[in-house]
Amino acid sequence: MGEIRDFKSGKHGEPPSGATPRRLAAIVAGDIAGYSRLMELDEEGTHGRVKRIERDLVEPSIAEHHGRLVKTTGDGFIAIFDSPVEAVRCSIVIQQNLVGRNASLPKHSWIEYRIGVNLGDVIIETDDVYGDGVNVAARLEGIADPGQVYISGGIYEQIKHKLVCGYESLGDRKVKNITDPVRVYRVLPDPAAFHRNRKRRENILIFLLSVTLLVIAGGALWYMLLQPRGKVGDQASAPISPPTELPKAPTAPAPAAKQAAPQPPPVPPSSAQPTAPQPQPIPSVAPAAKQAAPLPQPASPAAPTTQSAPSVREPEMSALRGGSFAMGSNEDISEKPVHQVTIKPFAIGKFPITVREWNECAAAKACGFTATGKDDAPITNVSWSDAKQYTAWLAEATRRPYRLPSEAEWEYAARGGTQTKYWWGDQLQPGMANCKNCTDVAAADQPVKVGSFKSNPFGLYDMGGGVDQWVEDCWHKNYQGAPVDGSPWVTGDCTSHVVRSGSWKNDARYVRPANRDSYDTNVRYPTHGFRVALSP
Amino acid sequence: MKIARLALLSVALVLLSNSADAQGKPAPKDAVLYFVWPQNGTTIKGAFWCRFGLRNMGVTHAGDNFKNSGHHHLLVNVNEPLNPKEPIPSDKSHLHFGAGQTEARIELPPGKHTLQLVLGDADHYPFDPPLVSEKISVRIK
Repeated sequence: MGEIRDFKSGKHGEPPSGATPRRLAAIVAGDIAGYSRLMELDEEGTHGRVKRIERDLVEPSIAEHHGRLVKTTGDGFIAIFDSPVEAVRCSIVIQQNLVGRNASLPKHSWIEYRIGVNLGDVIIETDDVYGDGVNVAARLEGIADPGQVYISGGIYEQIKHKLVCGYESLGDRKVKNITDPVRVYRVLPDPAAFHRNRKRRENILIFLLSVTLLVIAGGALWYMLLQPRGKVGDQASAPISPPTELPKAPTAPAPAAKQAAPQPPPVPPSSAQPTAPQPQPIPSVAPAAKQAAPLPQPASPAAPTTQSAPSVREPEMSALRGGSFAMGSNEDISEKPVHQVTIKPFAIGKFPITVREWNECAAAKACGFTATGKDDAPITNVSWSDAKQYTAWLAEATRRPYRLPSEAEWEYAARGGTQTKYWWGDQLQPGMANCKNCTDVAAADQPVKVGSFKSNPFGLYDMGGGVDQWVEDCWHKNYQGAPVDGSPWVTGDCTSHVVRSGSWKNDARYVRPANRDSYDTNVRYPTHGFRVALSP
Repeated sequence: MKIARLALLSVALVLLSNSADAQGKPAPKDAVLYFVWPQNGTTIKGAFWCRFGLRNMGVTHAGDNFKNSGHHHLLVNVNEPLNPKEPIPSDKSHLHFGAGQTEARIELPPGKHTLQLVLGDADHYPFDPPLVSEKISVRIK
């Protein structure tokens, strides 16, 4: 072993017990993005803040993760870890803590680290560390965006199954003064981000594929119609072309289930009767009329679902007409000011999403975990990101724009047209909602199955009590500056999101339709569930 | 070799089964939960940054099941005793910091309030015995 070591380090004749021990280590290199700009802005202040971050955050985090801070430079640090998992975990902790620290500051004075992590053989001395591995870590840090953690392929291989994060491959990168290109991955602390990323890419691919197929189909059509009968073909092609744009003709044999609809269908009917210009306009009008039909009544699950996604069971939805209502109340500071909001027509789930519905997503490997519990019970212990994964999957599987409701939509739906404290009046009544000291359900049976209590005037169940329900909006401590058009409020610090409804563990105050609470975006809690909404 | 592997496997299994058990994890004997700021009896004007201190244990994200680690919860004006068999409640007086926060901006109406920290495990259960800070009083002007 000693010989190999010597051979690698190129030091012949030295005893293995020499003064420069080599070892394999995970090296973390971090530096502050735009340090000189920050120093220019406010030299003393920045210096103080950086020192404080190093003392309060960087050093304790490294120690907590069993690492060793090797050195700090003016604007950065280098640390080594025995374990790649700990190294990356430590980097994430530092980055996420900084997000919190920056939240209250204007953007130009944010202190953001760029962090690179590499696995390499290094020479360690008391106050410094040397070797290729260190240089690569420093280069990774150099190409990382502020607030990001970039890791090398070596680290990735070690941690990919151990650390639940998203990893986005950035391919092989040539880095300065290193001969071989380095494989680089970006760490996405929450897997949902990765999912979004991947889906975007998939969508682009699918789009390109469908465009190609469309061109081929168009070419074939052109060829078939033009070649055999010159003039008639011209005539016939006119009425044929409109249907190609419609995602219709469900009768056509569809080769690829995914995106079958748009492209090949028009070919078979037209080749079957290319000479008959008379009947053509009728089918082309009919689908158009059919397509227009679902628009005014968005909740009818009939037409668009049949052509795709055979097996996904859709949540039961209620279409709401929309309108204007007074949102908020004067009962709690977070619910002020009361403000008028106009809601567009939309549909919302009659019940919270159930364990059965959630597990279909889990079975499709699109949701993070398989839930245990009764099929009809509401899904619980989901984070906001989990809920978003579900809606993304449902929208994709059904090809319908499922999403989380906005906070305004939720309150509009929960009020059911009333302006009283509760939807049934101003007094608490037993048996109306599943809240603490409001029912005699045994604790062991909680959460009880969805729809066990009375529905509100809009025919919706469990809008208040039961499970807390995530909505799309970022948390804001009151309605100062809130949108009035019913859209979700997604600007500002988005580390926590809004939950509505209150749960079986909260008392009657929380059941009020105006009540609002917040919770960390990526954290699961045993009373948190959600329901879905659908745009028309 | 085989025996060693088996032994390793059984150790891993034991560890795993231990960590799967949600409730009543012991905290290290010397762990201390405390307020870095404010101190007991402080009078504060307006909103303030409340800073949480933890010695001999680590702060992690809720859901991360590592030994000797947990996440902070701040109890505001809570007088009921904590039920160690239940997850720490989540409401307007039980604030959760499951993203691993070690400080928070707190806004309270003028008057006297009590604050207390409780450390929760990966599943939001208190440790056994519960690791809590001293219950402090602050006055908001």
